Amino acid sequence: MTINVSELIAALPGEEDDAIAQPSSPATESSNHFSSRPIPISRFRRLSALGTLQAKIAAAYLFYWLRGWFKSADEKQRLLAEAHWRTALRLLDSMGYLRGAVMKVGQTLANLPDIAPPEFVETLEKLHFDAPPMHWSLLRELVFSEFGDDPERLFVSFNKTAFAAASLGQVHQAQLRTGEDVAVKIQYPGIADAIQSDFRNLFLFLLPGRLGRDWENTRDQMDDLQRRLTLETDYKMEAENLRQARTLFHEEDGVVIPEVYPQFSTPRVLTMERLRGLHLREFMATNPSQDERNDVARKFVRAWYRLMFAGRMLYVDFHPGNFLVLDDGRIGILDFGCILPLEGDEWELFRKIDRPLTTGRQDDRLAVLKEWNDIGDDEPDRLRLCDEFGLWCWKSRFNAGEYDFGDEQDFRHGVELFGEMVRKRYSRSRANVITITRGNFGWRSIMYLLKAKVDIRAIAEEEVKATGWDRSGYAGRTLA
Amino acid sequence: MRITTEEKNATRERIVKVAVELFKSGGFEATTTRDIANSAEIATGTLFNYFDTKESIVAALASEAVRRSRKSLITNTDRASFEEDLFAVVASELRELKPLRKFILPFLEIALSPIIEGRRTNTDELRIGHLELVSDLARQRGLLEITPVGLQMYWSLYAGVLAFWASDKSSKQIETLALLDESMNMFAVWLRGTDKNLERDQS
Repeated sequence: MTINVSELIAALPGEEDDAIAQPSSPATESSNHFSSRPIPISRFRRLSALGTLQAKIAAAYLFYWLRGWFKSADEKQRLLAEAHWRTALRLLDSMGYLRGAVMKVGQTLANLPDIAPPEFVETLEKLHFDAPPMHWSLLRELVFSEFGDDPERLFVSFNKTAFAAASLGQVHQAQLRTGEDVAVKIQYPGIADAIQSDFRNLFLFLLPGRLGRDWENTRDQMDDLQRRLTLETDYKMEAENLRQARTLFHEEDGVVIPEVYPQFSTPRVLTMERLRGLHLREFMATNPSQDERNDVARKFVRAWYRLMFAGRMLYVDFHPGNFLVLDDGRIGILDFGCILPLEGDEWELFRKIDRPLTTGRQDDRLAVLKEWNDIGDDEPDRLRLCDEFGLWCWKSRFNAGEYDFGDEQDFRHGVELFGEMVRKRYSRSRANVITITRGNFGWRSIMYLLKAKVDIRAIAEEEVKATGWDRSGYAGRTLA
Repeated sequence: MRITTEEKNATRERIVKVAVELFKSGGFEATTTRDIANSAEIATGTLFNYFDTKESIVAALASEAVRRSRKSLITNTDRASFEEDLFAVVASELRELKPLRKFILPFLEIALSPIIEGRRTNTDELRIGHLELVSDLARQRGLLEITPVGLQMYWSLYAGVLAFWASDKSSKQIETLALLDESMNMFAVWLRGTDKNLERDQS
């Protein structure tokens, strides 16, 4: 696909009628070129250094998404927020690898193909992999600063060209002195600070909403998102997640979690076993049969439930590039940077959700949704919409038998319900709702991508046993 | 009494060694030339035969570090662009300068500042050597001759990166690498009059 920048920029929402968006003369463009690329020290300057084209598009969609939140805000404030956004979009320039939070939002949006039109999803993904890589001299310094030695001395071989780009780093193929083929993920310098800076900017844009009823809750959600993205910059934590996840799977599961090499890993460099196979989109391009797709989907769902129930780890980063179909039919899971640990209140909530997930009964569902989303008796429409969305999210689990995850109408229905919730600003929920929603849509998007037809209830019933929950009051009860 | 070259070199080395220890333990600002002379067990006047100021001692150390860095610079064939050339030159210097980082800032303020003239130490060698290398690299990449204005601009950026590095509080000075990369990219874009990333996006 040939990317035409001007067409994409023209497609950014909400730009046409703004004075800032007026095209400048070629002379002004030229004279501004240097001055618009300052050393990124202050928050606003950093914003100007944030983006690739991908970030521009992601930011545009974030803007589009957030605009719904300001519907009832004061008109003047709303216009001001929009002007800020458009100015920011104008300022975004090709910094390269410092993409930060906006980039992650872009990835999340790319997981929601019906919110972002398909051509944008394709563009986002293509641009993601086309992101200008860090040059060899920078990589060398990053490795040296972490290990006190150069990559060519630490490893038998080290491929200077990245074979994969990640939002927070890039991945290189290398070989250890002991012979193992490894993937070395190296973090972009300054990315953690970039995320902090991006969030401070994001808060500025959200300020017009601060008088709304749910402002405190919105702030809690943003704080939570910031905390999780910051955690993602700690590769030591990811290494620990990988180590724990690896202990949960056995040969017969057909699920592979790469082994981490701790002596070659630090908070900014992660060295792990290199898995070879096809990414999900590459796998789909081989035109696999329904049985082959279902087989991959079953392993994928089993892995998700195993991590959730036995590992108490909620996997939420469902980027198709994070999953491989290996040559022998097993699946590999690559990225463990964003894991929601299920403990304390979270675990208790998951225990409570198990009842409506199992029975499918509306009264069970309403009881949990009211508690989860803090829905008052004076909010009947909100309760109705949350219930419909909950039903959409959970029916594939409580319905006995094969569920058609490739049903476009069904998938679109879920996205529409979510869109309606966003438009009506029904965003009040637990602080981690953004992460959980990302995961909820994420796994469904993968199943939709696979056009899978599988019975996930059967898998869930096997996997949930690991929790040791007393399910005698409802297990086995269904709508039918 | 005639002092041999060996004795001179030994005294010079001793001065540098004790000066570094004093800078590390007591700080650059608090250390006086008298302190250095006392520790080196020489008269203050003798010290001035070797170094005009304490800044000169740091300058000598910095010059040696920069000379060493040229040897560790990876070969041109391993680098893909002028931006990367510049990055590699400065990064290799920073590696060698690292032992001086804690007390290099006051020296930088005086010696490398693009604005302050006057109390220059023996840093001309450092400055000229570095700028000649940058000009050579530009020529090798087929870029136009860098004008004096261009070199002044580059030197400002370079001094800025070094100053940032000297006070960089991030773990392992990782922020400096980000700043260095962006600064060298910015300079190359300015010199070339176009942005390769932008060209790539538009192709």
